[in-house]
Amino acid sequence: MTTIAGTTAETGTRAAAPLGRMLAAEVRWVFRRPRTLVTLGLFALIPILIAIGVVVADRSGGGGLIGAVAGNGLVLPIAALTVALALLLPLAVAMAAADAIAGEAANGTLRGLLLAPVSRLRLVGVKAFGVLVVAAATTLTIAVVGVLAGMVVVGSADGGMVTLSGTTLGLGAGLARVALVAVWVVGQLAAVGAVALAVSSLTEHPLVVLASVLGGLIAFGVLGAIPALDWLQPWLLTSGWSAGADALRDPITLDAMGSSTLRALCYAAIGVGFAVWRMQRRDA
Amino acid sequence: MAVGTAGRLWARIGTGVAIAGAVGLGLVAVPAGAGAAPNLPPVSPEDLVASVEKANPGPLNGTVELDNALGLPAIPGAPDLANGTKDARVWSDGAGKGRVALPSAQGEKTLVSDGTTAWSYDSTDRTATKKAVTPGEHRPEAADPTRSAADAIAKLRTTSTVSVDGTAEVAGRPAYELVLAPKPTERTLLREVRIAVDSEKRIPLRLTVLATGSSDPALEVGFTDVTFGPQDPSLFTFTPPPGTTVKEAPQGGPDHGTNGGKPTVVGDGWDAVVIAKRPAQEQPSQGAPDLSRLGTPVSGSWGSGRLITTAVASAIVTDDGRVAAGAVPQQVLTEALSK
Repeated sequence: MTTIAGTTAETGTRAAAPLGRMLAAEVRWVFRRPRTLVTLGLFALIPILIAIGVVVADRSGGGGLIGAVAGNGLVLPIAALTVALALLLPLAVAMAAADAIAGEAANGTLRGLLLAPVSRLRLVGVKAFGVLVVAAATTLTIAVVGVLAGMVVVGSADGGMVTLSGTTLGLGAGLARVALVAVWVVGQLAAVGAVALAVSSLTEHPLVVLASVLGGLIAFGVLGAIPALDWLQPWLLTSGWSAGADALRDPITLDAMGSSTLRALCYAAIGVGFAVWRMQRRDA
Repeated sequence: MAVGTAGRLWARIGTGVAIAGAVGLGLVAVPAGAGAAPNLPPVSPEDLVASVEKANPGPLNGTVELDNALGLPAIPGAPDLANGTKDARVWSDGAGKGRVALPSAQGEKTLVSDGTTAWSYDSTDRTATKKAVTPGEHRPEAADPTRSAADAIAKLRTTSTVSVDGTAEVAGRPAYELVLAPKPTERTLLREVRIAVDSEKRIPLRLTVLATGSSDPALEVGFTDVTFGPQDPSLFTFTPPPGTTVKEAPQGGPDHGTNGGKPTVVGDGWDAVVIAKRPAQEQPSQGAPDLSRLGTPVSGSWGSGRLITTAVASAIVTDDGRVAAGAVPQQVLTEALSK
């Protein structure tokens, strides 16, 4: 809403505005929304809650990634990211994508953006960048708070990370593994965001974007769980989402993360391509 | 708003990008088909078998996939035996040291042997088990296609027709397909065992078990990728990480768990039947599969019991505590029990 005032007032200068300034304006616009900040704050709670849960619970209890966190704090960010990737992180990204185009249409501010002498391609690019920034910010929040909570609340084994293979990595190597998972998660979220942006370019109701992204993820989860449909697995974006645990193996295996990243790139291309095509024809 | 020329161009480019994404997704999703059978100089079955027995591949690492379609009934307490595929990552220094990682979705079992001490580490309960091994002893490394294929060749050679049936590409390497088929006198449920032997290193890369009346393998274990070359020596040592429960494995040697007496083998080759005494049932050991409710009741001059059949093997658990099993039809089992 603030932007529309700016857009109309600065129409002449906007045409010549460098891309960097447009991207900065979009990022400021994204972070000025209270819901973005509230989301980031809530996401920071996820690793903290897991850390407290692990410390309070009996150390021997629990398998899975959360079980591996006990006494091994550097696993916490990876476990928290894996947990959040299932639904919460896609929700945050879908929210940003819904606001980006459908939200502007619902507010009536999209017309101004479309009339401004800014190419439609550039508009989609700037909006996609805004979604990517939200994906990176939420992931980074969980990763950083996860590392801190892991080191402070859970404590780490000899200052390093114990892998699932029973070896101990130093602090630097452990942090590198966390960073790798964070980058991989952002890649997966970029795919979700691109598809959400495509849906967003089709509608003027932000809720439709949220519903279709979350509904789609749940449908993918259901399809992936049916044994008779296992031939479908390589097509589903969600089927590689447990690959984050591979970063905890020593020697590390990158096959699953690599193939799911390739798949995410394809989904991102489909989503962005469709959004570009659709926005060229969109009137308001 | 009218769509300008540039807009039309970008719309087209957008469509192109979306289509490229869809095509790329297809390329990622559909696995590369097996390449054409490689052209290799012909080799006689005898030479191939002899070279397999002499083969020394040296250090290697790779990924092994086990595809189990044995059709074992669901056994409580032993879910690992159910149909499905499993992966293992293996490292070997070629001189008795080895490492095997059995990944699960959120954990891993690691087996490390440095030639004198074997460690097994389970990440789900964070226990490490230590066991002394005598050098040269066959380590019970699960799913080792090299070992199991070499064993199969040694056991089945005399009662089989051995032939070389073309070539195949396994884990990106050209390989000869060595086929062991039972001689007509053998009464077995198996049709043939195919072993893909690496053309250069002469080690078995894949073992496939085919049952009569089915074109799909009942069991296949083989490398999906393999690399020959020196391995990092630190892979073959293990130090229990902090927070680990360390246990010593009972030093029972290889005969541990056979408190029911040594099993006897009736017949040889493909229709060999193994008859074992079931351990006394005073307290069912934890984790041992419960077989008492499986199968169909059968009886005969040898007594009565329950028959369990799978795609490649049958077993009879008799009421007087014997277990007869083999890759044979029921009749062969009952004959062996009557002896």
